[in-house]
Amino acid sequence: MTALFDDYDPGGPRFFDEVFGPTGEVRPHYRELVARLRSFTPQDLDRREVIRDRIFRSQGITFTVYGDASGPDSADEGVERTFPMDLLPRIIPVDEWATVEQGVAQRVTALNRFLDDLYVGEQAAVNDGVVPRWLLHTADGFRREAFGIPVPHAARCLVSGVDLVRDVDGTYRVLEDNLRNPSGISYVLENRAAMTRVLPVAFAQQRVRPVDHYGPSLLRALREVAPPAAGEHPTAVVLTPGQFNSAYFEHAFLARQMGIELVEGRDLVVDEHVVYMRTTRGLQRVDVIYRRIDDDFLDPVVFRPDSALGVPGLLSAARVGNVTIANAVGNGVADDKAVYAFVPDLIRYYLGEDPVLPNVDTYLLWEREQREAVLARLHELVVKPVAASGGYGMLIGPHASDQEIAIFRDRIEADPRGYIAQEVVSLSRHPTLVGEGFEGRHVDLRPFAIAGETVEVIPGGLTRVALRKGSLVVNSSQGGGSKDTWVLDGQPTGA
Amino acid sequence: MRLDVRYTTRFEYAAPVVESQNELRACPASDHRQQLVHYDVTTTPSSRVSWYVDYWGTRVDAFGVRGPHQLLEVVASATVETSAVDRPETSLPRAAVEDVGFRDRYHELLERSAHVDWGPAVTAAAHRHAAAAGDDVLEVVMAVHEGAADLAYAPGETYVGVSVEEVLAAGGGVCQDFAHLAVAMYRCLGIPARYVSGYFFTRDDATGADVEVHGHGGVEAEVEVETHAWVEVAVPVEEHGHRRERWLALDPTNRQPVGERHVTIGRGRDYDDVAPLRGAFSGPAEHELSVSVRMRRLAREPLGGVPGSGTSPQHQQQAQQQQ
Repeated sequence: MTALFDDYDPGGPRFFDEVFGPTGEVRPHYRELVARLRSFTPQDLDRREVIRDRIFRSQGITFTVYGDASGPDSADEGVERTFPMDLLPRIIPVDEWATVEQGVAQRVTALNRFLDDLYVGEQAAVNDGVVPRWLLHTADGFRREAFGIPVPHAARCLVSGVDLVRDVDGTYRVLEDNLRNPSGISYVLENRAAMTRVLPVAFAQQRVRPVDHYGPSLLRALREVAPPAAGEHPTAVVLTPGQFNSAYFEHAFLARQMGIELVEGRDLVVDEHVVYMRTTRGLQRVDVIYRRIDDDFLDPVVFRPDSALGVPGLLSAARVGNVTIANAVGNGVADDKAVYAFVPDLIRYYLGEDPVLPNVDTYLLWEREQREAVLARLHELVVKPVAASGGYGMLIGPHASDQEIAIFRDRIEADPRGYIAQEVVSLSRHPTLVGEGFEGRHVDLRPFAIAGETVEVIPGGLTRVALRKGSLVVNSSQGGGSKDTWVLDGQPTGA
Repeated sequence: MRLDVRYTTRFEYAAPVVESQNELRACPASDHRQQLVHYDVTTTPSSRVSWYVDYWGTRVDAFGVRGPHQLLEVVASATVETSAVDRPETSLPRAAVEDVGFRDRYHELLERSAHVDWGPAVTAAAHRHAAAAGDDVLEVVMAVHEGAADLAYAPGETYVGVSVEEVLAAGGGVCQDFAHLAVAMYRCLGIPARYVSGYFFTRDDATGADVEVHGHGGVEAEVEVETHAWVEVAVPVEEHGHRRERWLALDPTNRQPVGERHVTIGRGRDYDDVAPLRGAFSGPAEHELSVSVRMRRLAREPLGGVPGSGTSPQHQQQAQQQQ
């Protein structure tokens, strides 16, 4: 054991440690890496941190943090900060990855079937009582305006960023699906590029599955969902709200990776239900739009009339099949956290399969018995608003004051549809460089899935780290960091 | 009653504008009470009009004018055959609207919406009307409907953003206000209600006479009317041993049931779901908007080939396409 890990506390039975087993032994898939680090002095680590910081600064990678943890209401004053990559990568062995890959693909496939059936189909799951109609009608992301808008191959969730956590026995569980505009893939690619320079030898010693085909895969999927009328060489663009958006870096990055245009709403115009891009050579037809603008801002004719970010007439063009909008309009209905609770049932219903990845145990509070049971043990549970993401507005019972618990009790009683409660998942921990040495910090995993004609899951994904000691919130907006995530090809050789 | 409707919207801009995109909801529905015989939309400058049926079942015509223009005129022309529908004589007791399946089915029409957001005064008024009625849902519905007699029609005094509480406090408004207020009262009593937009064929203001058809295929002079709004209420009934709902259409502005003179365009939670024209354009915002609705009554079964009044196979097919 290296001196760097001498003081490391794997957390005993309270947490699942990604690197160390229950008796303190290094898990087989980490042996080579730990052996390599054994030769490092603190100075070696310092030097690598310097290299890392220089790489990221030169790339201009930042992430805007909105307000504080009190909620998205305070969202207007963002500050830019870097989203730091930890020096120690996370490693996922091939058999474990096979389960994750299969589970994510299954989930995305079922959700695409459900959303397509809801917006252009017969609503079989609703009619058969799998998910209540009123629940969908009251979901924040439900869009009546999306009814009748087709998406080829039903690939409504063209990009999904499914958030996974591991509980105390190491089981991967789905926390959120993120079917609207999941961000973070640029960090996956940048982390990998940086890691090959920060730990070049350690990286070269292992067979790590590549991630750099993400751009080509995304472009292929975008072309696959082009309307049939687009012909053999459809034109795709990335539509961004603009440089003031927190993820603008990623929008520009993805456009560059795919070699396609990055446009804002004002760069597009609709004429006779066809979308065109204004170029120096005149108007050029656009067939697929990878949009990173929220539904409500897409088209002022049907959504918010004051939106200056969107394209007037865009939905009409999509409706007649002249352009495909990806991700599809209205996906947010399935991001509602109460609808999330029904996803395992939707998998069984639409695919006839058992879910590979379980949900986190979730309680629905409009049902009196569940609500009363939850209210009696709020100090043991996590409560989340159904429409929020990014870790905003949550109650983490075990860490909450009596006053905070009282506030959430009132909120739940006033609006039981507006919240869900979940069992606390202690979240696995991973050694993370803090100051001079490694300490255990909670991590999650956001694998990215791309759906076109088929579903492809990019090996690994974004591992987010809660840098604050003991914190269970890994979101970048809440002071999180990230790790390069290695999926090893083949079995570990042992060291 | 066979009616011709010509709905004209005209925008005159202070300076040329470009890239106008619009959605029009002006087409009479085909349903159990009325049958669309003919419909077309033309625009000046001309444009390619594409239509679809929205979530609520309303036909929407979408069109855009990209080049510079200082005038935009949209004319929707329709011929529609309307009838009156018998209303149920009795219904189930009020407990029927508490049924879980019933409430789930009509959930969207029981909730508050942007323009149907009631407060204590509306709730109290609704319950006051209901308390005076019997236990039958139909009696409650009619009591609320007749309660609108307290309100005065006050054209030009309100705007679409007015709340139902303000309408009640003001004691009057225009048809949209009456409809929103009635919808709010029904919903706060747990009775599903929807907002209906349409046309209302009034008597000829100039002569005071009803506009009668004379001669075979004869056509009366056009009457200038306004777009109108009313409500539909889901009333639980028992027919042949089965529970079902009958939609009862009521016109709170005119304090009458909806009949042959009412031409339905569309239905929704409130005005926003059926707003006649929504659009966006680039250019200076100042413009003058004028809206005109002209209606005339046609002979039901003309003997000759009167333009716009026949039920040719082509027209029938067009009507079928829109169902």
